[in-house]
Amino acid sequence: MATRESRRRLATSKQTRSLARPLVASTFLFRNAGKTIPLVAVIVLAVMLISGIVAMIDSIPLSIRTIYRYSQQMVGITPRGDPAQTPIIRDRIEKEAPVPLERVMVCRATGAQVRSIVGKWPFVVLGLAREDMTYYLDRMGSRGINGRLPETGKAEALISEPVARNLGLRKGSLLLGPVQDGAYSPEEVRVVGIADTDEWLMFTPIEYQRAHHFPPIDVLLVFAENLPDQAKLDNWAVKAFKGERAQVFVYQELERDTQDMFKILYKILNVVIATLVLVITLMMAMLMNIYQSQRLPEYGLLQALGYTRRQLLSRAFGETLVVVVGGWVLGLLVAYSLLLVVRAQLMTPQAFALDPLDRMAFIYTIPIPVAILAAGALTVWSRFRRFDPVSVVERRLV
Amino acid sequence: MIEARGAALLYHDHGREVYACRDIGLRVSEGEFLGILGPSGSGKSSLLYMLSGLKTPTSGQVLVDGIDLASLGDEARSRLRLERFGFVFQHPHLLGYLTALENVVLGASGSGDRLVEAENRLSRLGLGDKMHRLPHELSGGERQRVCVARALMGSPEAIFADEPTAALDHANGHAVVDMLRQERGGGALVMVTHDPSMLDGADRIVTLVDGCLGEAAVAARPGIEPGTC
Repeated sequence: MATRESRRRLATSKQTRSLARPLVASTFLFRNAGKTIPLVAVIVLAVMLISGIVAMIDSIPLSIRTIYRYSQQMVGITPRGDPAQTPIIRDRIEKEAPVPLERVMVCRATGAQVRSIVGKWPFVVLGLAREDMTYYLDRMGSRGINGRLPETGKAEALISEPVARNLGLRKGSLLLGPVQDGAYSPEEVRVVGIADTDEWLMFTPIEYQRAHHFPPIDVLLVFAENLPDQAKLDNWAVKAFKGERAQVFVYQELERDTQDMFKILYKILNVVIATLVLVITLMMAMLMNIYQSQRLPEYGLLQALGYTRRQLLSRAFGETLVVVVGGWVLGLLVAYSLLLVVRAQLMTPQAFALDPLDRMAFIYTIPIPVAILAAGALTVWSRFRRFDPVSVVERRLV
Repeated sequence: MIEARGAALLYHDHGREVYACRDIGLRVSEGEFLGILGPSGSGKSSLLYMLSGLKTPTSGQVLVDGIDLASLGDEARSRLRLERFGFVFQHPHLLGYLTALENVVLGASGSGDRLVEAENRLSRLGLGDKMHRLPHELSGGERQRVCVARALMGSPEAIFADEPTAALDHANGHAVVDMLRQERGGGALVMVTHDPSMLDGADRIVTLVDGCLGEAAVAARPGIEPGTC
């Protein structure tokens, strides 16, 4: 009973407050929903469109980083022109590395492909010694294996859970084979285990690759003892083997290449987004101009009654601010919700990366409210500049 | 209280100079009901707008309590209108998305219990049961009464009424004028009209012809004063 009474009092006091201040932005906006909703809807759609486009484009480099993230854990070094270089390189690394090393693995490598939203990308299938397999899985944060490790020398493979999802593989599925495009092996190599980790990985026994795959080159994978030291080790390896008979593969290079690759795309994206913002802003400015024109009698009356230009300007600006910021926030929420749905329904089942909270997508939407607010303020200001309230009260304007 | 000294309002019409009113010398005293009578196009409304600070004279002065309105900025003139003056225009201008009560609340500035006063004003003008209606739910006479209530808010020192009965039938027109007269308290009432019958009870009536306070009407009716054109 007391609650009902207090609710009634609260409602009455709210009503009283709004009655006593009839010029607050919410009163006009709520009571003129037919005008407010289209304005908000345009902003919501614009924000949704832009953040959606940016998030989807960003999903490509994000996929690259996600798929090849495993390489952050190691530096890969292959000999150049002479397979006999491998032990020499190993010896140098073990002697000269600037950080403590946890393991130097000798392995083989062949290729397979993974799928992305822009086509197929190459992915390495490592050939590992039995004792290195367990270490490699630990290093990749594996929480366990569904199945087992490949047996020494056999045509068997272990893949991680994202790879299985991406390629639609299960235990017993074919990973490499004589008729597999982009994943050739003279024998059929089947999946015997799926590692429970977020990292992307595929490996077979090293003996199988030595027996069946070309070229006959042993590759070195070098792991720093402490993960934070890995970048230091990577940088050292790049400098130390520059011009030597060795090729170094490090994550930073991948990152740099990805950034270079997308630089042009992002420039194009900037132009597209700028054009889109311009179009939306012009459209909104036109809409606002129409709405403001329709409200001139209101402004004229209020000015005649004694409301100052500044009061009316700040009121009109306040209303614009509420619409624009409200539309923008709502747009971000709707975009986030839609991206969540897209990720859950379309991306995650195929292990495609998509970040619904993409910072870049958020940043790209900022010009929308800013430009619309500026256009709105300019429209209102230009309307008020030479406005004569007498023309309204005399009905010369209406 | 309000005084026009040689006030004139000149405007340009297609390159031609036209005086809406000229050489106006007029004084509105406290609590006075001043009627401004004149035919259509005689400059009555322009004079009212000059006296109320809505228009600035192109020459001469309009003084309120000895202060030249032209010397005040736009903001100060606006504040003067909202805090010390009330307005009733020819057409019942109301904000269509606000209720009668909310429209009346607009007539006074921020502080004080505007809501209670607005409710009282509307009740006294016979709109107690219609105060939560939107303007389109009211008749023309009721809308103009809402405008009267709005003009009375804050007990202004002067109410300016520009042909407040023009859009109403005779009975409704008289009712509105009676309400203005009775409810204005101690405030002055300056009313412009072309209908002399609406000025019954006016303390003083001046006539305006072709922008000048004229003598022609003096003979037409006792109590009607000539101006100084």
